[in-house]
Amino acid sequence: MKFTFTREQNEFRQEVRDFLRAELEAGTFSVHCGGLIEGSSQEFSRKMAKRGWIGLTWPKEHGGQGRTYVEKAILMEELMRVQAPIGYHFLADRQVGPAIIHFGSQWQKEHFLPRIVRADDGMRFCLLFSEPNAGSDLVAVSTTAVKDGDDFVIKGQKVWTSGGHLADYGWLLARTNMDSSIPRHLSCSEFIIAIKSPGITIRPIINMAGKHSFNEVFLDDVRVSKRFLVGQENAGFKQIMAQVDYERAGFERLMQNYPLFERLKSYVRQIGKIGFGDEFYSWIKDSIAQLEIEFNVGRLLCYYTAWTIDQGRQPTSEAALCKAYCTQYEQRLNDAATRVLGPSSQIRGETKWTAFGGDLAESYLWAPSYNLQGGTVEILKNIVALRKLGLPRS
Amino acid sequence: MDFSLKEETILLKNNAARYLKEKCSSSFIRNILRDEKGFSPIIWKEMAEMGWLGLIHDEQYGGIGGSFFDLVILFEEMGKVLLPSPFFCSAILSGLVIKEAGDANLKAEYLPFIIRGEKILTMGLLDERGRYDHEQPSLEAKESSDGSYAVEGTRILVPYANVADEILVCANVRGVKAEGATLLKIHGKADGQKKIPLDTLTGEKTFAVAYKSVQVPAQSVIGAIGQGATYLSRIIPPVTILKCGEMLGGLERVVEMTVEYVKQRQQFGKPLGSFQAIQHYCVDMATYLETTKLITYQAASLLSEGIPCHKEIAMAKAWCSDAYKKSTWIAQQIHGGIGFTEEHDLHLFYKHAKASELAFGDSWFHRTKVAEEMGL
Repeated sequence: MKFTFTREQNEFRQEVRDFLRAELEAGTFSVHCGGLIEGSSQEFSRKMAKRGWIGLTWPKEHGGQGRTYVEKAILMEELMRVQAPIGYHFLADRQVGPAIIHFGSQWQKEHFLPRIVRADDGMRFCLLFSEPNAGSDLVAVSTTAVKDGDDFVIKGQKVWTSGGHLADYGWLLARTNMDSSIPRHLSCSEFIIAIKSPGITIRPIINMAGKHSFNEVFLDDVRVSKRFLVGQENAGFKQIMAQVDYERAGFERLMQNYPLFERLKSYVRQIGKIGFGDEFYSWIKDSIAQLEIEFNVGRLLCYYTAWTIDQGRQPTSEAALCKAYCTQYEQRLNDAATRVLGPSSQIRGETKWTAFGGDLAESYLWAPSYNLQGGTVEILKNIVALRKLGLPRS
Repeated sequence: MDFSLKEETILLKNNAARYLKEKCSSSFIRNILRDEKGFSPIIWKEMAEMGWLGLIHDEQYGGIGGSFFDLVILFEEMGKVLLPSPFFCSAILSGLVIKEAGDANLKAEYLPFIIRGEKILTMGLLDERGRYDHEQPSLEAKESSDGSYAVEGTRILVPYANVADEILVCANVRGVKAEGATLLKIHGKADGQKKIPLDTLTGEKTFAVAYKSVQVPAQSVIGAIGQGATYLSRIIPPVTILKCGEMLGGLERVVEMTVEYVKQRQQFGKPLGSFQAIQHYCVDMATYLETTKLITYQAASLLSEGIPCHKEIAMAKAWCSDAYKKSTWIAQQIHGGIGFTEEHDLHLFYKHAKASELAFGDSWFHRTKVAEEMGL
């Protein structure tokens, strides 16, 4: 076993760090929590594209670099450390591209993959999975896609669509077999639909932090050419099951609020034992040490999951176990930080008393989403129970 | 990052697993715990013959000069069956002390016998309050005019003191020329030494040893006077990771037995494992197991490669201490009444988890080490 990186991997990490430091110095972006989504910039994505950092793990014949998931993990760890604004290409890189590579038609591969890898215009994706009656129970989706000549006509509603208001395309799951005697998990298909299509209405949902990050998306007889059907008709669920492992498996689940940890450590060192008093400082040291241990454990889980993928194994239970662990860490980090900062941790906006540039208060408000999005902790535990431990369905 | 095991390691692991599974049934282990000696001389001899005791010791003394990582794997396998033996106190703790602090004569005098299992050594590290007091030992050793020492004080939780040929201690030497925390070896049958058997949670053979003006010769000193704590500070960290390996093994067995149980046990017309609360408990245990594995192997691997890793060692012991213990609590809940009986094996691991947590520092203690490493 090796718990150290190779020279090449270390050089790669340094390359990424140097790039990010230069961008920060140039003022392209600043370090604050949630930068992943809120600070997205196509220009930044293009810079990454030029270095081959989009589609890093994709096969070379599809425009990727054919590099390992461990290297991708290194890249993600560094990007997340400073909350680099990768929102423009993030979903396309992480799961849309791989799904097209595995299941897409020749046309879809030729049309989308090179454009995603270059961070071209019009390549921002959102996911159209959840519905008001289909959250954890994704199989209950009722948005329909009815064949009409060379098109499908889509009717329904999606919810919790993060970045839907910014996206160019949506990755949609819809029912294509209306026969109620067919099991529901065999009656859905995946489509790529242009968000600007006639019939699509986007309505913002304001989250607890007062931010517009997700949406309701109404689809009213939206016409999509059958060339945008991904993979096999009615095989949507089988295809999704392969995709979600990649969605679950990364540092973006451990480090969404990482700047808080760095700021907390600096703050504590700055104020010191004298500033906090012996007893409180003792508790603070203990809390931070615990967070450090938990972070390092999560980090090992992320690299282990990436390594599992590199061994050619489907990381279903590894990814689920990893994500469930990691998002719970993020929540504990928030909580501990607010207790160290005390009452001032609740101040929002830019005042001279606001902690960590407002990140702390904001992050606490985003925290419930960590354990919910992309598979709730409870669903993930169900998956581990069934797939890893072989327990019977409940 | 590479999470695969080397071929030699897999070989060692599989052979050890096979041997221990065959020899160490639960009833066999329980018999050992009831036995006066507290270990099986047959297994002891076989472990020596297989080269286990000398795995990381130098070939010149009969050891194998093998990898530390492999030794952690071996302890993992022994942890799965909870084999009570003087391996840890003799070949590891005492053996490493002699290796670290002893001169060539001392090493030649003891290591070959320790490695062959022909001599059993142990260590008394704890004071009467159960503290690791080697930085400022409460055990006193006053030098007499003839160069011998009079040892005064008490050690508790000294494993296998009943069968030990020598008991190693760290005493506060007050000498004519030098003084300070010093390693001493005291003969197992030294006059004035009183051994009081202690009945503890796990039932492993351990003793309180009281020293009342026990005379030990000048040659009892191991290494330099006043350097006892320094020597120990070098061997306690790797020894702690071996303990983590043993804890990992125990934890694996707990998860395995629990998952097996919930597949078989039926209530309300269904297997217990089909209830979500039970499933989630099991996943929590499995998560503790996977994370304990990674954090332990990390420290083991870095130690094996000679890479400084004080922080990683502290993180491992902190994590293992809590993970193993909490998993046994969950396992107790899942097993219900039957897990609370003596007949069922779960209690052996429940007890082992607590004893291991308390050995060489619990999670709080190691968090203070992590904080230190972080410069806080």
